[in-house]
Amino acid sequence: MIEIRLHGRGGQGAVTASRIIATAAYEEGKYSQAIPMYGTERRGAPLTAFVRIDDVRVRERELVHNPEISIVLDPLIAKQQAVVDSLKPGGLVLLNTAYPPEEVKIGGDFKVATVDATTIALETLGRPITNTAILGAFAKITGLLKVESLEKAIKKFFPGRLGDMNIAAVKRSYDEVKGPIQAVVKDAPPEKVDIHVGGYGVLKDVSSWRVYTPEIDVEKCIGCKNCWIFCPETAIQWDEEKNKPWIRYDACKGCGVCANECPVNAIEMVRVEV
Amino acid sequence: MSERITRAQIPISELTITPGSACQGCGAALAARLSFKALGPNVIRHGIPCCPDSVTQTPRVGTVFEGGGAQLTGTARALKAIGREDVLAVGFYGDGGTYDIGFQGLSAAAERNENIIVITKDNEAYMNTGNQRSGATPKYARTSTNPIGPRSRGKPRPKKNIPFIFAAHYVPYVGTASVGFPEDLIAKVTYMKTIKGFRMLIVQSPCPVGWRFDPAKTIEIARSSVQSGIWPLYEILDGKTFKLNYKPKELKPVTEYLSPQARFRHMTEDEIADIQETATANWENLLKADEMGRLTL
Repeated sequence: MIEIRLHGRGGQGAVTASRIIATAAYEEGKYSQAIPMYGTERRGAPLTAFVRIDDVRVRERELVHNPEISIVLDPLIAKQQAVVDSLKPGGLVLLNTAYPPEEVKIGGDFKVATVDATTIALETLGRPITNTAILGAFAKITGLLKVESLEKAIKKFFPGRLGDMNIAAVKRSYDEVKGPIQAVVKDAPPEKVDIHVGGYGVLKDVSSWRVYTPEIDVEKCIGCKNCWIFCPETAIQWDEEKNKPWIRYDACKGCGVCANECPVNAIEMVRVEV
Repeated sequence: MSERITRAQIPISELTITPGSACQGCGAALAARLSFKALGPNVIRHGIPCCPDSVTQTPRVGTVFEGGGAQLTGTARALKAIGREDVLAVGFYGDGGTYDIGFQGLSAAAERNENIIVITKDNEAYMNTGNQRSGATPKYARTSTNPIGPRSRGKPRPKKNIPFIFAAHYVPYVGTASVGFPEDLIAKVTYMKTIKGFRMLIVQSPCPVGWRFDPAKTIEIARSSVQSGIWPLYEILDGKTFKLNYKPKELKPVTEYLSPQARFRHMTEDEIADIQETATANWENLLKADEMGRLTL
């Protein structure tokens, strides 16, 4: 039995990805299971989902505790979730990052593969929804699924033009994936997990939620306070002396309201590579 | 009646602690931030199950959906008993807790004219549990319980007119506001602080996840909703004095509000014409009432 764990954020489609994998395995005549881990999954909050694939009927009904494969849909999620924790020795980690697997900082007894799924998703779908853009890479490096059965499964979930766009994303990631190689770092420090990142209440730092980061051109600013009054997270602070805004980047979720509301386009949303 | 204020009069100090756990571009988080900014620190915040919006520095108590009105009543009477009527009992509820499940408790509190403030962040469905329809969901909107198919065209029934329902309890103050018009919202909350009795403000707060639009457009959509007459801004005092707070010379077409939202994407021309007709007729009624300055309920 192959057990897979997916790490992602609400809105990236980790749960959909788990269901697509399970459906594609079913298309190939295997038995499969997709389990989302429900908590307070709002857009941007970290979440996990699980998949089991087997040649015989899957009897387990619990969460996956020791996966063989860990798929990470978000480049920065490793800061908040233990993505290689309790992975089986000799397992496999598929990361969404622009770096090649040789430069990945996490290490241990497992193989690492990387694919820049965010860029692929932005270029094929126009939105940073990385679920299908990582599945092609998954099919190639594991050899568990054929791309054709993934395509079939995707067409079930996304009919019409949206399906074609997602299939294009799968094909691109199939071609662009790097690895897998044995993890270079041998003794990586244990992963730190900050529990104040999900759930209700006040969070410590949400800077990893954003794909686009606002940058203010203070020269252009006319001091209308639009960005400040409309920021839902109070990330835009107002400097009364200078009559100009500044940004608390730890509180900014990158929604883009400020850039959209600025009458003189003094705020620009920039994609910062991580 | 609330008095107009300018952007410069809005206090810089914040009562919210951020970052909160709301989604990106959450309208309700902004509604909480602006309302509590205007309410000030002398507040006991009451909550019932709803989306996590902005966390405030005020004390907060919570209860079940149905208990919203009763708990507010208890706090207000206790504050009176200990002689601390300078502290406000404020309920910050979602639309499920106002329009549907919490309605009976609030209606009873309104009928008794309890000395409480209720602010509703209206995101037009049960968004926290995954976009199920509520009494606040507008007609034709697609929700997870109103899918689009051969036998379903989204929600078949129109949105409940809750401001008028509460106005028909003849309470001191009922108002509508929008996160797209922060000066108006803050002016209304500031006015609510100066009077006593049952006061209610319904704030339309767009939800990027449930309404399905780009989070950057939250304010744009809130604004076009008001400008197209779908969500007019008005206040009703004692169930009779009526005032429209935002009167454009000409309304924008409703398509400006509907088309950016994927929950309305399936709508046909006839269905859009239906929404337009309803919005225009409603707007004309409100204009008449505004001219007379009073309402006959």
